[in-house]
Amino acid sequence: MINLTINGKSIEVTEGTTVLNAARQNDIKIPTLCDHPNLTPYGGCRLCVVEVKGMRVPIAACTLPAANGMVIETETPALKKSRNVILSLLFSERNHFCPFCQVSGGDCELQNAAYDEHMDHWPMQPQWTNFPVDTSHPNFILDNNRCILCRRCIRACAEMSGNFTLSVEERGAATIVVADTNVPLGQSSCVSCGSCVQVCPTGALIDRQSAYLGHDKHLTVTRSVCRGCSLGCGIEIHTRDNHIVKITGDYEAPNAGTLCKTGRFLPVEQTRTRITTPLKRVDGSLVATTWEDALKLLAQNLTPLKGQLAAVASTRLPVESLYAFKSLFADGLNSAVVTSTEEGRPTALQAEYAIKNGEAIEGKLDTLRTSDCVLIIGADLKSTHETAGFYVKRNQPKGTRLIVIDPNENGMDDLANLNLKPQAGSNEAVFNALEAAIIKEGLARTDAKSSKTTLEAALKACGLEAEDVIDAAHMLAEAVAPVIVYGRGVSGNSDAATLDAMVRVAKLIGASDSERKGLISLKGGANSLAAAQLGLVDQLKVQNCKAAYVALGDDFASKRLVETLEKVPYLAVQASYESALTERADLVLPVDIWAEEAGHTLNTEGRLQFAEAALTAPEGVRQNLMVLVDIAHELGVTLNENWREALTQRTSVVELEM
Amino acid sequence: MTKPKIASDWMAGCSGCHMSLLDIDERLLEIAELADIRATPITDLKEPDESGVDVGILEGGINNSSNEEVAHRMRSRCKILVAFGDCAVFGGVPALRNMCGTQEALKRAYIEAESNDESGMIPSDPELAVMSNVRAVHEVVPVELHVPGCPPDPDVIYYVLKELAEGRMPEIKDENLHWH
Repeated sequence: MINLTINGKSIEVTEGTTVLNAARQNDIKIPTLCDHPNLTPYGGCRLCVVEVKGMRVPIAACTLPAANGMVIETETPALKKSRNVILSLLFSERNHFCPFCQVSGGDCELQNAAYDEHMDHWPMQPQWTNFPVDTSHPNFILDNNRCILCRRCIRACAEMSGNFTLSVEERGAATIVVADTNVPLGQSSCVSCGSCVQVCPTGALIDRQSAYLGHDKHLTVTRSVCRGCSLGCGIEIHTRDNHIVKITGDYEAPNAGTLCKTGRFLPVEQTRTRITTPLKRVDGSLVATTWEDALKLLAQNLTPLKGQLAAVASTRLPVESLYAFKSLFADGLNSAVVTSTEEGRPTALQAEYAIKNGEAIEGKLDTLRTSDCVLIIGADLKSTHETAGFYVKRNQPKGTRLIVIDPNENGMDDLANLNLKPQAGSNEAVFNALEAAIIKEGLARTDAKSSKTTLEAALKACGLEAEDVIDAAHMLAEAVAPVIVYGRGVSGNSDAATLDAMVRVAKLIGASDSERKGLISLKGGANSLAAAQLGLVDQLKVQNCKAAYVALGDDFASKRLVETLEKVPYLAVQASYESALTERADLVLPVDIWAEEAGHTLNTEGRLQFAEAALTAPEGVRQNLMVLVDIAHELGVTLNENWREALTQRTSVVELEM
Repeated sequence: MTKPKIASDWMAGCSGCHMSLLDIDERLLEIAELADIRATPITDLKEPDESGVDVGILEGGINNSSNEEVAHRMRSRCKILVAFGDCAVFGGVPALRNMCGTQEALKRAYIEAESNDESGMIPSDPELAVMSNVRAVHEVVPVELHVPGCPPDPDVIYYVLKELAEGRMPEIKDENLHWH
């Protein structure tokens, strides 16, 4: 521990803490603009300069490590004067006229800093130079006239999303923030994660969706969980008058504020048409009806068809609803097929494997943060589960090596140190080849001496070059903390032998042993793992079904789902939005959307998370769970409510944190 | 003790700050009790007394030779000069024309604006004031008190006027400090 004194107060902090953070931890306010708690200290704005006894000049607190015996003053007249000069210089550099700025009036850290220093005017007037404004991006605007060059956005782009799109051009007062080699943001390598907008202290980066819809003081913040995919990133939903104004990453959650476009921007730009009343088919067209009538109709139609019923639930539904769904249709009605919209494609294989072996084989996402070599196979982390891709990308400058194995074009191809393009459907052979290469090269970390097949045979089967596979073997086996990330390409298109081969490789390279669990599967939607734990993994085969019930919630109806259910004589759907599926349905029950219902999700690494409702559902719409309870009541089925127990009944592929 | 004399004038602004002053409503009577309100743009007397006033209040930035004259006249006739509102304090919205230059702004307004017909021309009467970059008051004459805001909040204006009327210097900070 380090002991130091700030403004006469003795404080104790852990070694390596900066003076700025030491002050923060002890409620001593040191003003800063360039520093951000979630980004590496930069020391650019100099607003946080403090006086350290024995040192010749004031020093920036954000980059100064606290040391034993330091005596620090933060509020001397000289420091106040220096802050005033720094702020004056900042205001004189560009167009910081507040009246027409989106963040003015509470959300601007520059303005707030000036208020804190009691600045009632600018001692130095602006220099009236025009800087470029980039409006080419669909989600946000970059106005260099409002920029104070704190470089938070540049650091966020690199440290949060690992995208390295933003940087600066020119120097001194002419410096501007640019994308790539100064191309318009909309045509740049930007992946629209929006982290830059979230950290910008001024109005230089403005989110189009939320601009001028209210300051933070007008918005209600609800901590929640993204339902975009199985990663379950922590989010904060900012609402006003029962509308989502914006979504930001939750710094306190494991994703530490990082989000992707799917989490930040897509849920706000909802364009689908909401269904707000139950609909029944009369003479070929859908007409509005009451809940009572709709539930009665449903019961009438389903009761005689119990054994010939197919039931499908979206993996976006909360665990509570998924379990009620299973309890109703599998346990209560003994339906022919009860499954999820994913039909187990991203989860069934490894779930079965875990049950057979009686142990969790997968590790936590956290292993990605410290991994020095990542193998991605059967997954494109640019098109889905993008935040997991960020965890990999942002470590690459620190030396983390990346191997991408994908027969198709992959969004991470350009970033990979090694890019292997095997024949489609040859995953088992790929792992067999890796196994053989590791053993042949004497790289194995276990005492395994023989491989399942010879290297030559495996290479022939997967079509890869010996040299590439041996390179990959070296990279993986020589890494300190290798991680294998696999997706649907493995779990959805392979068999148990492939998973066996993958686990053997993981053991050989030390990615999966008693110390480390460096095997991660991405699975699918928000409650993909929960659906697997509840056994909702069967293929949706409807040949013998006379009726189908789809608990779609606010999910999109996939083309595959619509086509599969096309020939089922009776179709009932509980859904929030109009879709091809509701158009074809005989009965539609309107339900709330994700942000309107409280509930649990179980993310891909087995972390059970609860989210409060952030919005109130429109009148006439019921909660997903309530609709299932209502149907059970109508059909005389008693629902089991103990979903927690149901989740843990079978061995999970990854350790559950309930 | 005689009541302190207060005068005001406006320059390159929108008069919104004076409207906000009227928004202090019945408290105006209280100020009128405490102080001797002399020349303002919204009273009959238009120029501050040659014999001088205690407090001079200026709204708006300085964008031409006429404004300069107003600023210098007020400065020479008052003891405490108040820059009143964002335009007086920073230059404000009119100062945005400094970004493109006066000639560009004139061209846009008198020739290119959508509401103009083809006969649009930049006024060139030699009697007209000579235009300049828009400046904050403190760039032209020394200022004792800055009251920013676009416009300043009526409560802030009341506080400022009451303090000045009672012979104290207002402190513009915390809840009284807003730039917009």
